[in-house]
Amino acid sequence: MSGRGAPLPERGGGQVVAAGSAAGSIYDLGYRNYVGPRLGRRHALLSLIRHSFRMAYGLGRSGRAKIIPVGLAVLATLPAIVALGVTALASQLGAEGEIDRANPVNYESYYSIIAQMVALFAAAQAPELLGRDLRYRVLALYFTRALRRDDYALAKVAAMVLAMLVLILLPQVLILVGRILVSPDIPAAIGRDLPKLLPVGAMALLTAFLLGGLGLAIASFSPRRSFATAAIIAAFIVPPIVVAAATEIAGEDMVAPLTLLSPPGILIGANAFFFDLSVVGETAVTLPLWMYPVAGVVMSAVSIGVLVWRYRRIEP
Amino acid sequence: MALIVLDSLTKRYPGVTALDDLSLELEPGIVGLVGANGAGKSTLIKVLLGLVPQTSGSATVMDLDVRREGTIVRALVGYMPEHDALPPDVSATEIVAHLAELSGLPRAAARERTAEVLRHVGLYEERYRPIGGYSTGMRQRVMLAQALVHDPKLLLLDEPTNGLDPSGRDEMLELIRRTGTEFGIAVVLASHLLGEIERVCDFLVAIDAGRLLRAAPLGSFTERTGVIRVELEDDPGTLAERLTAAGLQVRVDGRSVLAVLEDASGYDLIRDLVAELGLGLTRIEPERRTLEDLFRDDPGAAA
Repeated sequence: MSGRGAPLPERGGGQVVAAGSAAGSIYDLGYRNYVGPRLGRRHALLSLIRHSFRMAYGLGRSGRAKIIPVGLAVLATLPAIVALGVTALASQLGAEGEIDRANPVNYESYYSIIAQMVALFAAAQAPELLGRDLRYRVLALYFTRALRRDDYALAKVAAMVLAMLVLILLPQVLILVGRILVSPDIPAAIGRDLPKLLPVGAMALLTAFLLGGLGLAIASFSPRRSFATAAIIAAFIVPPIVVAAATEIAGEDMVAPLTLLSPPGILIGANAFFFDLSVVGETAVTLPLWMYPVAGVVMSAVSIGVLVWRYRRIEP
Repeated sequence: MALIVLDSLTKRYPGVTALDDLSLELEPGIVGLVGANGAGKSTLIKVLLGLVPQTSGSATVMDLDVRREGTIVRALVGYMPEHDALPPDVSATEIVAHLAELSGLPRAAARERTAEVLRHVGLYEERYRPIGGYSTGMRQRVMLAQALVHDPKLLLLDEPTNGLDPSGRDEMLELIRRTGTEFGIAVVLASHLLGEIERVCDFLVAIDAGRLLRAAPLGSFTERTGVIRVELEDDPGTLAERLTAAGLQVRVDGRSVLAVLEDASGYDLIRDLVAELGLGLTRIEPERRTLEDLFRDDPGAAA
């Protein structure tokens, strides 16, 4: 630690002063007072959201930090790309009608295809957004900026939701663009697919808020990333197991209310509600479908509430 | 304009009163906040930052209420906590620039200031390397840099020399002294080490068990006492007897004689007596009160 390689003073107002002991010298190139704008809380909040969003994908970090988030995003997008390739090929061969009916990859089925990837993303990256600041006590530096504690928690929610929306919507956008481009009658295809954007958007928002919010709420209690990730995965996979076991014992009708407490159950029900489908398979999701998005909104709100409460109480 | 105004400030934690009815007005300058560990120094700083809410009373910084206008106060204040608070896997440049933005600086300005401030605290090429590989001294410099990067009007430093070796300590104190005197930034420096406070500060606030012990310019704490210390190589008993006989108030302290002098003629008397007795004289100096006396007066106060 020394002034080795210190450049010469570049601008006026600074004189070179060597001070300190023989062990290391401080070469002062002139501290200057700052006269520019101070943008305050809104700017601070937006900066924190941008920074945290980049963190969620490991942007500006080492390659290792990118492997999991970018890898999951690629995995979540691959089925859409493959399906588009098949559709394009089929339409060249003049068989798009058959393929379209048989194609398992479309707007309403896509959530169930990538559900695992989306849940894993929340489990891996929610602790990434919070754990470092908890573990190394960086919060003392955050909470003494032009921010409030609530702002910190809500900025993390915003960043997490945005990151998850990218993950969920990128393949949906590909499906949309692909379906329109391979269609022989593009204006008609736009007219046909545009109404689908509403349920696609609603489902994506609910998924992002529910899994992102729940992940952050759980992660806020553990500075250790591995514990937090394990706890979030447990919160996503244990409830369906409990529901399945209870169904065996008590029968589907008794167990149905439990599905409103299970994040995967909520999302299966909400997907069916938004796309006007019927639920099939062994899920015990048998209540009136409107209850599932409502349960999802309630659970998201509770999670975010817990997160804010937690950050109000933390001693930095 | 008063820099900091405390009015009956009280902070109670379950089972302990950290700040007890503290009222105080501080002007800009380098203020030493001194007290034993647990005296309430850190709590006071955290209340000023809005990090912990006070139980009762009020605190204002630059006429801004720390509770109601906390974000505005914090945008104008730099804080160095007593514990290390830096993530190991990012570089000094990254974390300081990020924190500068969170203090309200536009992005480009945040980057430019980061480079300048890191240079100011003495970090050069190493600022691009992850903080995990830094020495304690370098980490403390980064901590000071993040507190300075948004050019605050007030710096709150909580034990900034924690964990530093003697030369690192000297450099840190010198940096703080120059920051406080040359750049128009007021400083509150909390420390349990009186020597540090004496070297850097020009005003001193002593607190103990959350109560104000004294707040005054540093000089008044260490003013001359009218007592002269005569340190000898030999036994001071004879000299003490002769001085007493000459009508002075005298006390023996080890190899020294402490005498209360009424006027300058006392110096001549001492010189003549030492010569007459053939004693080896080590030094004669006016005795100053030390900051330690402040706490020694009150046996309840630690130190």
